[in-house]
Amino acid sequence: MIGEEFASLLAAAQGGSEADFSLLWRDTNPALLRYLRVIAPGAEEDIAAEAWLQVVRGLRSFRGDEQAWRAWLFTTARRRAIDLARHRSRRPEAPLDDLTAAQLPGIEDSAEIALERLSTAAAIALVSGLPRLQAEVILLRVVAGLDTESVARLLRKSPGAVRVAAHRGLRRLAQITADAGVTL
Amino acid sequence: MPNIPLPPCQDGSPVTDADLAALLAGKRDAALRLQPVADVLAALTAEPSPGELAGEARALAEFRQQNGAPVPRRGAHRGAAKRAPRLGTKVTVAATGMAVLVGGATTAAFANMLPAPIQRLAHDAIGAPYEPSPQHGPARGKPAPPVPLASHGTVTQGAKTRSPGRHSKPHPAGTPAASPHGQDQQGSGQGQGQQGSGQSQEPQGDDQGQANPDPQGRPGDPHPAGLLGNPHASARPAARHAPHRPPMNP
Repeated sequence: MIGEEFASLLAAAQGGSEADFSLLWRDTNPALLRYLRVIAPGAEEDIAAEAWLQVVRGLRSFRGDEQAWRAWLFTTARRRAIDLARHRSRRPEAPLDDLTAAQLPGIEDSAEIALERLSTAAAIALVSGLPRLQAEVILLRVVAGLDTESVARLLRKSPGAVRVAAHRGLRRLAQITADAGVTL
Repeated sequence: MPNIPLPPCQDGSPVTDADLAALLAGKRDAALRLQPVADVLAALTAEPSPGELAGEARALAEFRQQNGAPVPRRGAHRGAAKRAPRLGTKVTVAATGMAVLVGGATTAAFANMLPAPIQRLAHDAIGAPYEPSPQHGPARGKPAPPVPLASHGTVTQGAKTRSPGRHSKPHPAGTPAASPHGQDQQGSGQGQGQQGSGQSQEPQGDDQGQANPDPQGRPGDPHPAGLLGNPHASARPAARHAPHRPPMNP
């Protein structure tokens, strides 16, 4: 997150300053890729590039604070991911909410990963093992830095549903890490 | 570091929403029993890896394309932006100057204002009148007034010879070619539409070499800038300038 400098940074980028746009990009692109790595694995770079293209085109007309800026970027990327998924064969949406942590796919890999020094990639792999909504909410809240209301608008859910999904996801992570014996 | 399996809830108490909210807020000390989860969340927000910054060039290329040429950082340079207009202006001025020069030379030829040898050549080439007389010479009458430029008045070359009077300066052949406003010879601003305004400047010669792209020139002036000369233009100039004035040499 950029913080207080965001407004001036944005204004300069909108004015055509390449250096300031670069700062905006560097601040948000890593988070964007991590998010996309979970919701669209294997296509995160292409989707991110397309999202930035769209953002660049609409940059001058953007109005808002840093929360709105990040929400706009992640919303754009999410829509791209959805469009991409429509062109692929749809995967059956398995009701994973009822499954226990042990039944989650890749739990064995998660245990292996948990035994290693925890890295970003390992953390992403753990979150990827969560049900889709829970994983998205945790990523958007923690990685994208969006508040509950922004996440709710992005996912077209109620704030209450977002909070419930977040808490369930964290409990599942606690279970996974406990079962796997994550080192501290 | 040894792996120490942790029970789901070490102290038996359930994980509360407050604990989870604290986790999401980044408060790692708010729920110690959830430390492993806090570690996972911290790893999700770790510093970017080189691979996550590899697409910057592509994004910047798109940014440049969208915004045109790269713009220096805020505060930096406006010089480049300002240079462009100046360059275009200089080109315009130079072109105008050349046009005036050519027009002036032609007009001078038809006004029988050129030095005898050159007047004769003009006579042979374009049919300009040829009347050898003592008056033909470098300093003829009223040097044409400076031609004001429309935009900013900086003439490229020759701007110096502004003052008709002073100019007696020999344009090397006393031809307009020597100055951007060859008008010197005419002294009537004829045709040099630009010179239109020159009239008033004639005597002052402080024209700043301005060539007014105004194509109108003087009333009766058949050619916008008199660029192509007017076979009948001689009458006018004759009426306007004082051909017999002795050259005033600077």
